[in-house]
Amino acid sequence: MEVDATYLAQLTANGIILGLLYALIAVGLALIFGVLEIINFAHGELLMIGAYAMTFMLPAVGLLYWPSLAVATAVVALCGLLMYELFLSRLRPGEFERSILVTLALSIIILHVVQYAFSASPRIVDTQYGFDGWTIGAIRVTWTRIVGSGVALVAFVFLYVVLKHTRFGRAMRAVAQNREAALMVGVEPKVVARNAVALAAALCGMAGAALAPIQLVSPIMGQALIFKAFALIIIGGLGNVPGVIAAAVGLGLMESWVGGFFEIVWQETAVFVVMIAVLLLRPDGLFKQGTMRVG
Amino acid sequence: MKLLSAISATLLLGALPFFTSSNYVIGVAISACIFTTAAAALNLVYGYTGLLSFAQLGFWGIGGYATALTVMTFGGSFWLGLVWAALIDTAIALAIGYPAVRTNRHAFVIVTLAFALLVTLVARDWVSLTRGPLGIPGLPAPNLFGFEFKTTPLFYWIAYGYALLALGLLYALCTSRIGRTLVAIKQNEPLVRAQGISPVPYKLAAFAVGAAITGVGGGIYAFHLKIIDPLFLDFYYMQTFLIIVITGGAGSYWGVIAAGLIMSTLPEVLRFSADFRMIVYGVVLLLAVFAMPGGVGGWLHERRLARARAGLI
Repeated sequence: MEVDATYLAQLTANGIILGLLYALIAVGLALIFGVLEIINFAHGELLMIGAYAMTFMLPAVGLLYWPSLAVATAVVALCGLLMYELFLSRLRPGEFERSILVTLALSIIILHVVQYAFSASPRIVDTQYGFDGWTIGAIRVTWTRIVGSGVALVAFVFLYVVLKHTRFGRAMRAVAQNREAALMVGVEPKVVARNAVALAAALCGMAGAALAPIQLVSPIMGQALIFKAFALIIIGGLGNVPGVIAAAVGLGLMESWVGGFFEIVWQETAVFVVMIAVLLLRPDGLFKQGTMRVG
Repeated sequence: MKLLSAISATLLLGALPFFTSSNYVIGVAISACIFTTAAAALNLVYGYTGLLSFAQLGFWGIGGYATALTVMTFGGSFWLGLVWAALIDTAIALAIGYPAVRTNRHAFVIVTLAFALLVTLVARDWVSLTRGPLGIPGLPAPNLFGFEFKTTPLFYWIAYGYALLALGLLYALCTSRIGRTLVAIKQNEPLVRAQGISPVPYKLAAFAVGAAITGVGGGIYAFHLKIIDPLFLDFYYMQTFLIIVITGGAGSYWGVIAAGLIMSTLPEVLRFSADFRMIVYGVVLLLAVFAMPGGVGGWLHERRLARARAGLI
């Protein structure tokens, strides 16, 4: 097979950008799993709410990107807070199956309420950047993609600083590493859990808002993306934040390459095959499993 | 008491085509038979063995497609299609189950969910085999030694017969030594290991049997609908199986069957629109999780305990 260098470079650029956005989704899942030991099945719907918030905010502020992104992030963070206060806070630790059923039920309700309210038809979202792109040599990347991946990078730096250097973040890591010991030194697990869910929801909403101008916005967009985020947190090691980011960029690249050279069905299958292979070889994920670590 | 109600329900359902000639009512009864069977298979995997599997949806879809493709593309009979459905699902269950059951239960849930979503995507995107979103319409009526099951009441006998067969098999399995080992694995895996029993083959066997039963159910259901397309893998089906198991009480054989018969007819009663139906389902699931954590089976068990305690005083 003849491989065109420009085509390969274009696929690589797209893959890295896609991977960074996947990472933004999966990091929230890893955070919630690390602190609450809950797998949030409604995460895809949080993403979708973020994308819809972006869709409705943009025309209201004259297509300005940044205010809309900020509002979408805040809206989803608030949804996360509500979700925790109303439902997740009622679950006791160790009730893993119940937590799945609760988040699954929320996911189904949100998905169908949105579908009922705004119809299932996909929407195209326009921003101040339009559909123009930046051309380096023969590669062309749209501004919305560049800005989206920039948002993701800034979010990772922010997350690193928060988890490593603030009381807020240290408390989260403490609960993730040893719940009893954290309780003994006066860390309140409920407050930490609430913060973690709100933070994870904010990151997820940001990812949804950044994705809205890149792909079509529809009620089921979350379902298609969350499947990959689940695979990512398995590959990266449950609750391992940097592992998940590394796995996400790798997956984005692989997906872009596979999608560029083979039929589309292989693109989805490849993700799953990699996950099964990783589980077979290293049941705890590619990176050493452990409690939530940031460096 | 249990036996009596089971026998009378069996006879009553068996005699259904003699009471009514309405294709709608019999259609609902076909769904009830198949959904209850698939839910009982999930109960074996989740309720007894403690492995929450979302892969059932994938097995359901693969079973449906395998049966439909055997008939439409490869020119086999419906019955051969069902055999293929069972075989393919067993093979896939073993292949995925082997790495998945050795990890922790969190990872198991995620892997099986990812598998179910993957099957949906493959059904949609592998156009050369599955014909993509167009689906395969016009599935013919099954034929046994020249006898055609062409009307809905006649097709009902297939669904009914299969439900009896599969539920009987599951009953035998769950009440046997194997069933007790599965419960022991769910309750205390280290203890099972300490007794010199390796849990992996038991978990794999339960997963594979559950997959085969679900797959054959999917095959029969596809021929009831007479069309198969990616909507056959709608999350609605997984949701239904799961709600039946949760409301019936995971690990309670009769509870799940009773819930299956009720919950598969209830949505028909509550049917305003497709969107509302799913919202109602979601709300029922939430309520069931918070109000009745043990399901109907758990609630009956509590009541029996309370009565026994009252008798002591």
